[in-house]
Amino acid sequence: MFHLITRKIMKNNYSRLKWVALIILGGIIFFLSKAATAATTTSLSLQQQEVSGIVKDQSGLPIPGVTVTVKNTNRGTITNLDGEYNITAPADGTLVFSYIGFKTAEIPVDNNEEISVLLEEDVASLGEVKINAGYYNTTERERTGNISRVTAEEIELQPLTSPLQALQGRVAGLEVVDQSGVPGAAPTIRIRGQNSLRNSQNDNGNLPLYIVDGMPINSGPVNSINQFTSGIGTDPLSGLNISNIKSIEILKDADATAIYGSRGANGVILITTKGGSFSGKSDRIEARVYSGVSRVANFVNLLETPRYLEVRRQAFENDGVEPTVSNAKDLLLWDTDRNTNWQEVLFGRSAPTFNANLNYAGGGEFTSFNIGASYFKQGSVFPGDYSFEKTTANFALNHQSQNRKFRLNLSVNYGLNDNSLFSSSNFVRTALNLSPNAPRLYNEDGNLNWEDSSWNNPLAALEGEGEAKTNSLVSNLGLQYDLTKSLTFKANLGYNLLNSKENILLPIETYDPAIWNRVSNRSQHSFVNRISWIAEPQFHYKKNKGYHNIDALVGATFQENNNDNLVINGTGYSDKQLIGNLNAADAVSVNNDRKLVYKYQAMFARLGYNWNRTYFLNLTGRRDGSSRFSPENRYANFGAVGMAWIFTNNLFFSEKLPFLSFGKLRGSYGITGNDQIGDYRYLDTYESTPGPGGLYPTQLTNPSFTWETNKKIEGALELGFLKDRINLNLSWYRNRSSNQLVGYALPAITGFNTVEANLPATVQNTGVEIELSTLNLKTDQFKWRSSLNLTLPSNKLIRFDNIDQSSYANAYRVGKPLDLGILYQFNGIDPETGYFQVVDINQDGRNDFDDRTAIRNLGRKFFGGINNQINYKQFSLNFLFEFVKQKGSRYYNNVPGFLGNVNEESVNNSSEDGNTSLQRPTQSIFGFIAYNNANLSTYGITDASYIRLKTLSLGFQLPEKVTGFIPSSEVQLFVHAQNLFTLTNYDGLDPQNPGSLNLPPLQSITGGIQINF
Amino acid sequence: MKNYFLIILLIFTISLGFISCEEFLEVETPDYKLDSKAVFSDDQTAQSALNGLFNQLFNTSYANGGSQSVSFLSALSVDNFTLTSTTQDVIEFHQNQISPDNNYNLTLWSGSYNIIYQANALLNGIDNNNSLSQGLKDKIEGSSKFIRGLTYFYLVKLYGDVPLILSTNYEENALVSRNSKDKILYQILNDLEDAALLLEEEYPNGDRTRPNYFTVQALLAKVHLHLKNWDNAEFYSSKVIDATSYYDLLNDLDEVFLANSKEAIWQISPIGWGNSFTHTRDGNLLTKTPTSNNPVVLSENFLEVFNDSLDIRYQNWISPFFTETDTLYFPNKYKIQYDASGGEIAEYSMVMRLAEQYLIRAEVRARLGNLTGSIQDINKIKTRAGLSQIDKFQNELTKETLLEEILLERRRELFTEWGHRWFDLQRYGRSEILQNKENSNWTSTSNLLPIPSEEREKNPNLSQNPGY
Repeated sequence: MFHLITRKIMKNNYSRLKWVALIILGGIIFFLSKAATAATTTSLSLQQQEVSGIVKDQSGLPIPGVTVTVKNTNRGTITNLDGEYNITAPADGTLVFSYIGFKTAEIPVDNNEEISVLLEEDVASLGEVKINAGYYNTTERERTGNISRVTAEEIELQPLTSPLQALQGRVAGLEVVDQSGVPGAAPTIRIRGQNSLRNSQNDNGNLPLYIVDGMPINSGPVNSINQFTSGIGTDPLSGLNISNIKSIEILKDADATAIYGSRGANGVILITTKGGSFSGKSDRIEARVYSGVSRVANFVNLLETPRYLEVRRQAFENDGVEPTVSNAKDLLLWDTDRNTNWQEVLFGRSAPTFNANLNYAGGGEFTSFNIGASYFKQGSVFPGDYSFEKTTANFALNHQSQNRKFRLNLSVNYGLNDNSLFSSSNFVRTALNLSPNAPRLYNEDGNLNWEDSSWNNPLAALEGEGEAKTNSLVSNLGLQYDLTKSLTFKANLGYNLLNSKENILLPIETYDPAIWNRVSNRSQHSFVNRISWIAEPQFHYKKNKGYHNIDALVGATFQENNNDNLVINGTGYSDKQLIGNLNAADAVSVNNDRKLVYKYQAMFARLGYNWNRTYFLNLTGRRDGSSRFSPENRYANFGAVGMAWIFTNNLFFSEKLPFLSFGKLRGSYGITGNDQIGDYRYLDTYESTPGPGGLYPTQLTNPSFTWETNKKIEGALELGFLKDRINLNLSWYRNRSSNQLVGYALPAITGFNTVEANLPATVQNTGVEIELSTLNLKTDQFKWRSSLNLTLPSNKLIRFDNIDQSSYANAYRVGKPLDLGILYQFNGIDPETGYFQVVDINQDGRNDFDDRTAIRNLGRKFFGGINNQINYKQFSLNFLFEFVKQKGSRYYNNVPGFLGNVNEESVNNSSEDGNTSLQRPTQSIFGFIAYNNANLSTYGITDASYIRLKTLSLGFQLPEKVTGFIPSSEVQLFVHAQNLFTLTNYDGLDPQNPGSLNLPPLQSITGGIQINF
Repeated sequence: MKNYFLIILLIFTISLGFISCEEFLEVETPDYKLDSKAVFSDDQTAQSALNGLFNQLFNTSYANGGSQSVSFLSALSVDNFTLTSTTQDVIEFHQNQISPDNNYNLTLWSGSYNIIYQANALLNGIDNNNSLSQGLKDKIEGSSKFIRGLTYFYLVKLYGDVPLILSTNYEENALVSRNSKDKILYQILNDLEDAALLLEEEYPNGDRTRPNYFTVQALLAKVHLHLKNWDNAEFYSSKVIDATSYYDLLNDLDEVFLANSKEAIWQISPIGWGNSFTHTRDGNLLTKTPTSNNPVVLSENFLEVFNDSLDIRYQNWISPFFTETDTLYFPNKYKIQYDASGGEIAEYSMVMRLAEQYLIRAEVRARLGNLTGSIQDINKIKTRAGLSQIDKFQNELTKETLLEEILLERRRELFTEWGHRWFDLQRYGRSEILQNKENSNWTSTSNLLPIPSEEREKNPNLSQNPGY
């Protein structure tokens, strides 16, 4: 039966794959046939002539070493020291002039014998790249703060649901950790480390601020009730179409974040979607389709049946205990000849992945638009016919009045996620847990096999159904009017809706029939509704006079967030068919019904000044009010100062250091805040008890708590060498978060364990970030760019008075990082018992927290990425390696000798007698305790560093000859791989998240075609 | 031009000022929360707050019959169970060597004080309150004081001296030291006597999960038994026993633990789950089904006290479970181990029942020398259990042998309920027999639990019990 089902599902997958493959293949054949016919009709140029000339730059100086080629031939030469060249070319041919740091020029020969060229400097690589700093724009060259930028090309091909997952390894200072490979699960995002002591799912003070096209998005993961993502939550940005993102800017230091005041403490992520542009160019259509498969790349090395049973029997023998049916059902009740690779069965399938994307941009001088839609579907690696579907639509409109004084831009992004992946069971944990000889899944009659109630059949979960639908809408309207030449009024109005509905239907068939009389058909429903709006009127002022350039703004923010959450359970449906219809439920209970309102109001200002584009000063400030604090503590001020000096603009440096094409020193200091605490915590209130008809006090209240403050300081050096062929950015930062808003520990005799209060505790994050980008080679046909980012972070709790008497006593240590293990000292094997042992530090004969004195830093030592972009003729190759140096928890799920599978590494050499470094197999509770303690000791921590080929893309641009039949069209074929391989010594599922028993991020290979015309 | 800019800036700033920030930031109390002042401003919400206290008793570990309750942890500490659990915290209780770091002990302690906080908050809410009806205020005061008295009674029995907290002011309460046992007991008696004056004889809506006048009397009998005030104990237990229109010993032992059974003096309802389950935690923890993993089985030592296999309690309150190699015995007072079928709640968790009152009176009568009266009471229990009665003309029957018999009878009747045997052994001065238990580390200081170390770290004024 099971085989039947698998075959059926696989057939589905294959038929879809076949379809996509056919389209791609058809496309290729079509174009190749066109190419063949095109090739035969190309007429040969007959007339050759000598051409010569001088190549100069914009200041009139000759450029030596410029490559001059005849287009579409292999013929070429280079200019001499005086910039002169000489070449033979067809009279109707085209000359191509290219040189690093300059824009490539193409000049038709047109029977001319002398062609001199003025090459324009290609400053776009550094200088004039516009950077979104939130309320204002700056350039890479002139920015005073630390802002990293990731562009569409780097992320658009990744088959992921969350745009932020696509940033892994690409940005210095940004840690993105996948919590689960299940589509939609929220990753953990940290910009420059953990600032707040509060780090749980429901009370997290470490979330960055997300802003999509000017609209702040609640960055808290969306509550979820299913087994795969409860405790993780789903990503609030997963409704965005990755292909529709133009750029993502990551704001890191005080200068960049202080204008976001109380919400800038953890950094800001600005997402800009694609808009229209007043190009006057003809309309443009972009279409892309890709398809492929995703799967789990790595399994744990679990034991197979013979070795597993050997270990089990050895355990009983070692302990001198006779196996009985209650402690050894695997030995006595179950078929000892069975062997199932549960990982393969329960999460080893290949999931088909498909994406289609269509975008149409057009317009004219005064109005332009961009409209698009996309569809993404990913099957599941689990048994059963599950899939994740995402449909998005986007629309952007730009308009300006005839006199260009009034401008309008509107962007609307809509996404619908439909995730039927939902289930009452976490297959990964089950697979890692089951004995390899656990019973078969189905009886001969095709029904689930319960083996006389001796196990929980994992596939029973498939009898249930689940679905999560999330609608999200992010829309923003920007209006601006130039009041004078220097003064502009702007208004930014945003509306955001996120609506998530989860249903889990659980018929009694999901249980063992032996207990059907005690359970009933039931359903769980969760509704999340987040609505927020924002209005931000602003004035911008810009004035240049002589060497003085002023750029200033002042504005205000009004924002309201509504966050509703409702969780309902229905039980006692009389028939399976009716499950989910709450009307048909015997009893309906409401688990959670909360409507939260958060209001936020602020005034902000910025003054940017520069002298001759050489000395820069940037002052930003904000006064914030938040409804999360009591009326007396609602307002606070935040601000920053940033400065920069482009020293290569000074004659002294440009003369003494001619190899230095660009040099900038910059620094910033400022204060940001954090108001990420729950709403209404300052109120003394009662809430409903879980039981009906009751109210009870749920917390002690302290009306006087206020903001966490975060002081940031940064210094940086930015250098460009060899006409910016090599760019190096070095930055050093130190962020200190104090006034930590945490549960102040109280003895339970007060009725509760904590009360919300600001503690004199300070967390420090320091670090060095290095970004290096090089243009290694550039010729007419070959171009190779590399970039490296490296972050060396260091996190430390520098102050926490009386931590011993707080609820954090066992979680943190002053002087140590927040991400740490407080552990026993491992002491090898006890020769008498053969068990692991740990050191009893205080020699009181027992192992408790006082003995846990060994400290291990579990945070990242360093991390980064290396990206290479190689273009050769029509081929392009891009690959990114992500690397992380860290320690983490060893894989541990069961104690060797107990019921339940273990990895080979934990038993390998224990069969040899005498000297082994591993605990002997046992099934006694003392062995269990010993093993558990060892895993809470230094033994339990292992190296979890890794290097991963995060992305690999190979593209082939079909030659114009081939595509020429459609005017001005481009066709590209591409293959993309995600997480292709990982180098690591770690023994668990995924070193990225050591110790986790969740589904690891998937490996996928996709191929597709992109057509632009 | 410059002036133009300044004027606009000025207008802008002023207009911002008009959109008053203070008002914009006002948020109403959300509908899932109710301001504590509002709670006590009308009868309906104040009644809900009182209901909340009873709902939460089922969710607060010490009273709910679950793995961190007085019932389970005190039963672990005596000789009724053989352990099958591998949880360190459970093992420590069973071996009578409890670490001050033991989490179950901390939960037991914290839960008790959380309930005391709720009771204090209710008393605080009705203090000087003119918006509520007198009838409701009496009910709230009586019920809260009963719960507070009950909770302190178990705290003082388990820990000895404990901090006496009578207010909700956490700043004051955070650093108080332990008060003497006598002071606590004095407060308990005061609270219970007040409650007795305030609560009516009828159960509200016939629901035995709410205390009535007799519930308070029953607890008073128990407190006085522990205080060795034999006369008082006899007085109060007689009041309950004589209330025959309310209480009766049920002949069918399978009906004793049903919801609102006539033997029940006070019960806690699983309604506190919030309708999702309808079984008791006692039943879930101890009752055995083929698929469940239980932390304990009944010990041989315990099974031996049922020397008369005709004892109906052995038949009805203990269930054998047959494995291939041997037979294990599990408590079976509660029949429902797990029920998520969404039906009616069939069983409540028993806190006090009539049988205990008979046993209290039998004991105090014996201690007062009234052997005849004592035998009458104990025979009620024996008869119900299908055992032969004690013959009052039996020659060798002395007060001492009778007290021995009562101790045994209490063990057979009240096992797994609210730590009776743990406290009985202490009252009888017999705790040292726990040394004979397998893996026992019992010493003379084991009778009191340690004050949780986490509490002592947060409140350095809390002293530790001897032996820890």
